[in-house]
Amino acid sequence: MLPNIWRNTGLLTAPTMADVLDRFFYGVPGAARNADSVWAPRVDVHETENEVVLDVELPGVDRKDVKVEVKEGVLTISGERKQERKARENGYRSVERHYGRFERTFGLGETVDAEKITAAYKDGVMTVTLPKLEKVKPREIAIEVK
Amino acid sequence: MANTLVRNSGGPAAPTFDDFVERFFYGWPSFESGSRTAWTPRTDIYETEDAFVVDIEAPGVPKDQVKVEVKNGQLTVSGERRLERKAEKESYRLERHYGAFERTFTLGETVDAEKITAAYKDGVLTLTLPKAEKARPREIAVEVK
Repeated sequence: MLPNIWRNTGLLTAPTMADVLDRFFYGVPGAARNADSVWAPRVDVHETENEVVLDVELPGVDRKDVKVEVKEGVLTISGERKQERKARENGYRSVERHYGRFERTFGLGETVDAEKITAAYKDGVMTVTLPKLEKVKPREIAIEVK
Repeated sequence: MANTLVRNSGGPAAPTFDDFVERFFYGWPSFESGSRTAWTPRTDIYETEDAFVVDIEAPGVPKDQVKVEVKNGQLTVSGERRLERKAEKESYRLERHYGAFERTFTLGETVDAEKITAAYKDGVLTLTLPKAEKARPREIAVEVK
């Protein structure tokens, strides 16, 4: 089921039992492992020839409250969704959305160029683009005819 | 929990057991779980002095793909999120929901249905349901005789 390159690059691994439990209870894997964060946004990961692209759902999160960090080969997207004062003061009738601190981490391995990671935010989705290192890009090898 | 002013008749977004099973075996919830909608956006409802405010999470849904309709005392918000990214290779992880979504709310008599407004910002659709005049707090002068 899991594409080969995933295993090779170490970017993501097959779901563990902890992932399965996290998904059941929190909707996304990895949610319970960060004591500091109370929710975890949903993430799609796509790969093209030259880059790995993450689409992170962060509706209603101020982009100033989002931090994207790469440290020792681990990409961390963290931040906070704050409740509107008006809503807090007047009282909720129904609350399904998550508030407070969030965090997701992804092991990058030595596949992407950490210096060239970019992030953009549009319509509540943050797109993180991770350009691949030259050495992991597919290359054609000319066959010499002798 | 349910209140008569804005009753929430859509299901909560918490994962169902079917979701769990589908996620375990297929990685993400099926689009064909019996209902004609694929997912249910998370929604908050709060009340201010003049209105009820409904915040619906719809990240990555273009504004023109959302329909807000009032009919027979029911407010329906529906739309669709399409997986538009054309991955040259593969999508390794799809946690986000794609396809049609819908939420329905029953409007009580306290809401002025003619004056409902909708705004979309940062992936959140905000519906403002002004209270009908009769439902607003008013002061009654006490006559001293």
